[in-house]
Amino acid sequence: MLALQLLISGLVTGCALGVVAISFSLVYATTKIFHVAHAGIYTLAGYLAWSLAAHGVPAILALLLSMVVCAVVGALIQMQLYARLAQRRATHLVVLIASLGALAIIQNIIAAVYTPNILQFAQPWSSRVLALGPVRLNYTQLLTVVISLAAFAATMLFAHRTILGKRIRAVASNPMLAEITRLQPQIVYVYVIAIASALVCLPGVLVPLDLGLQPYNGVTPLLTATIAMIAGGVGSITGAFVLSIAIAVLQNLSLMVIPGEWSIGVTFFIFVIFMLFRPTGLFAAR
Amino acid sequence: MDFLLSYIVLAEIYVLLGLSTNLLVGIAGIFSVSQAAIFGVGAYVVAHFLMTATPLSFIPSIAIAAACCVALNILVTLPALRVSGDYFVVTSFGIQLLATAVFTNWTEGTGGANGLPGVPPPDVFGWSVETTAQYAELCTGAAFLGCLAFYLIMRAPFGRLLRAIREDELAVAAAGKNVLRAKVSAAALAGAFAGTAGGLYATFLSFIDPSSFDLDASILLLTMVVVGGARTLAGSIIGPFLLLALPQLLTLVDIPTTIAAAARQLIYGLLLIAFMLFRPQGLAGERL
Repeated sequence: MLALQLLISGLVTGCALGVVAISFSLVYATTKIFHVAHAGIYTLAGYLAWSLAAHGVPAILALLLSMVVCAVVGALIQMQLYARLAQRRATHLVVLIASLGALAIIQNIIAAVYTPNILQFAQPWSSRVLALGPVRLNYTQLLTVVISLAAFAATMLFAHRTILGKRIRAVASNPMLAEITRLQPQIVYVYVIAIASALVCLPGVLVPLDLGLQPYNGVTPLLTATIAMIAGGVGSITGAFVLSIAIAVLQNLSLMVIPGEWSIGVTFFIFVIFMLFRPTGLFAAR
Repeated sequence: MDFLLSYIVLAEIYVLLGLSTNLLVGIAGIFSVSQAAIFGVGAYVVAHFLMTATPLSFIPSIAIAAACCVALNILVTLPALRVSGDYFVVTSFGIQLLATAVFTNWTEGTGGANGLPGVPPPDVFGWSVETTAQYAELCTGAAFLGCLAFYLIMRAPFGRLLRAIREDELAVAAAGKNVLRAKVSAAALAGAFAGTAGGLYATFLSFIDPSSFDLDASILLLTMVVVGGARTLAGSIIGPFLLLALPQLLTLVDIPTTIAAAARQLIYGLLLIAFMLFRPQGLAGERL
């Protein structure tokens, strides 16, 4: 019975993680930047929504507004930081250090404004429990699954059916050729980071709705999501989403034998296994 | 006077760490945010061997700590670098978070979040180091040896090989050099420096806790190298001395203590971005 409950809660966490993974994967596959600051956007989303909700803004509007703000912040990071560095032909290492700097800035502004203590959303409906047979779920968890699956489907549709989605995939597969054919990679990069930043707001708001907010809580989900992306095969949206769920389920099931504070070890162990035996991931394209 | 001396001691310990980070990030070009974790392993290993029922003396403890850190760094970098640099980014984040989890949760070994008090002062070949002035002598000696080693390594063929890899990895590989082995060796050397620094740190403060070895500490180390300047000896010395003075300067500005830590980290973040945008070579370094 415990196993079933853990399995379900793994699925919930996995869905939320899956959205982090696909949003990171969009950025990484297209711009080739290891966008560490994405963890900051993830955290920022939760705090923005919390502030708006505390001022009486309806929950759904708070979520949408935080998506807009995060999209703008993401676009600014690309335009003011990554694009400038690219212009100077900065090495990969330099871009990474700058991204880490951006992460430190976002996290610590949040910590300075809201204190590093844990914050809880005051949304009574969110913790109402639903009993589905033997399994107990609250509304937030149910909503997380529904919205995450919808976000996954929407991303797949967007990438394969829309003009912008095709343009992004073209830039991702060959930036040089995209430049020549006037697909304007630098503009596409701005779109991609803005879209990914808006997308990461969904788990960024839904997960804290259930578990509370802390300024330095973004790094672990991003790391887990990155591992899922690599294990799924870089560039594969489905791979990133499916592997996120698999990793979260494994992590939750491992709670039966290993205490929770070691779960980062379980995740990392999965990464080491993949790195040693299948570094290209399960769903590798080509 | 004591205050100034303890600043110098800490700065010299961080010079060793700066050399270690510079070797890894600046010279070998491997992005790492797990330097503080390796530093922590060194500190805890030394504390452990000085505090067991049959304590070892200081120098053997340091040697064991350095060996542990070398082994750990090889173990960590080898599989990741075999694949690609970005795999090591994930690995280093993972190692850092994992190390913090171990330092915080393995209560029997590390004292958990409460830390490990009462690390005895070192005894170097019969010279017992107790006052801050004596520590300053010890750490100056250690930092000098570290700098000398760094200088000699950089002049040796191995140092030239590392530089060449930074310039053009493909050309070096085409010239028949083993790139992976050179990078892993650089990481191993970085481990030795960090382990030694950890031992000095643990005995100087006589108290260690996980907060000195977390992700923020790793970011501080990276900032030191970026501000001081990558790939040069001078850079690894200037960075630590400047950045350790920063918290003292911040106490002059009137900010509430609750946000002091966040303000400090915020400044490190700003420095990282500003230097990457406007002066990637740091104050006294070469192009990163």
